[in-house]
Amino acid sequence: MSDRAAIGVELAEQFTDVAQQRRAATLGMWSWLLTELLLFAALFLIALVLRILHPDSVREAAHHLKFWIGATNTAVLICSSLTMSGAIVTSRLGWQRAMVRCMLATAALGSLFLVFKGYEYYQDYIEHMTPFLAWRPYELSGDRASQLYVSLYYVATALHAFHLTTGVAILLGLAWQARANGYLQRHQNRIEIYGLYWHFIDLMWIMVFTIIYVMNR
Amino acid sequence: MMTPAEKRELWRHMREPAITFAVLLAFLAINVTIGWLQPFPAVWAVEGAIMVLMIATVLLFSMEVIEEPALIKFFSILGFVWVAILFGMTMIDYVTR
Repeated sequence: MSDRAAIGVELAEQFTDVAQQRRAATLGMWSWLLTELLLFAALFLIALVLRILHPDSVREAAHHLKFWIGATNTAVLICSSLTMSGAIVTSRLGWQRAMVRCMLATAALGSLFLVFKGYEYYQDYIEHMTPFLAWRPYELSGDRASQLYVSLYYVATALHAFHLTTGVAILLGLAWQARANGYLQRHQNRIEIYGLYWHFIDLMWIMVFTIIYVMNR
Repeated sequence: MMTPAEKRELWRHMREPAITFAVLLAFLAINVTIGWLQPFPAVWAVEGAIMVLMIATVLLFSMEVIEEPALIKFFSILGFVWVAILFGMTMIDYVTR
């Protein structure tokens, strides 16, 4: 690992120094992440309200969710958080090649999550757990309240999958840029800021899995 | 290939992420086990508490809030506190009806 690159951040003109620029970037990312938290929080709140208003229907619907696929996907995202931390650590050390490999491993784990999620949706479709498809009979058609919970499950997981898909796309783009010589000397900060987003996606999934799949069983 | 000195340096920096990873997997294993077995009626409270511990672990160590300047630390934690207040106010209504 002798290819240690110099690390740093190119100072933008509106900042007095690099430390101020780093803090501003971190605070800006946190501002956005908190708006994302509010978006997901509304869905979690709906899940809890449904649980209180229709406990039997919610329990019945939750038992049809693919618990083990959800658990496997949680483990996959926790692994991806480790590889993202690896990318951040190696970027700080100036180990550019190792950093790019960690980023690609993170993107691969994110893609694996999406494959499992696609398989889960397919299984839901096979088992007639798609109340929003008018032409297809719904497994729990006698229980209208369960439709609300199953629809919420689709909204929450699809919203998360959308975030993960954009996350993987941005990560691949970033890894492509990060291969260039001198990248870490000018843009090391980008890896750190992006890492916040990736860990946040992991955080949101931990909440989705626990609230939608586990707590309402 | 990495030299022994580089391996030591990497481990020194990766120790905290590796421990965080192990702790998160352990919490997940507990939640999955009790979620699957449902050993007692109020198990949801334990599952919720473990979720809060997992959130705190990701925030403090993976997202390194613990090492951020005071303003960012305050801002990031305030966001979650604000969500908790919104949850609390809404749930008080439904739980006490």
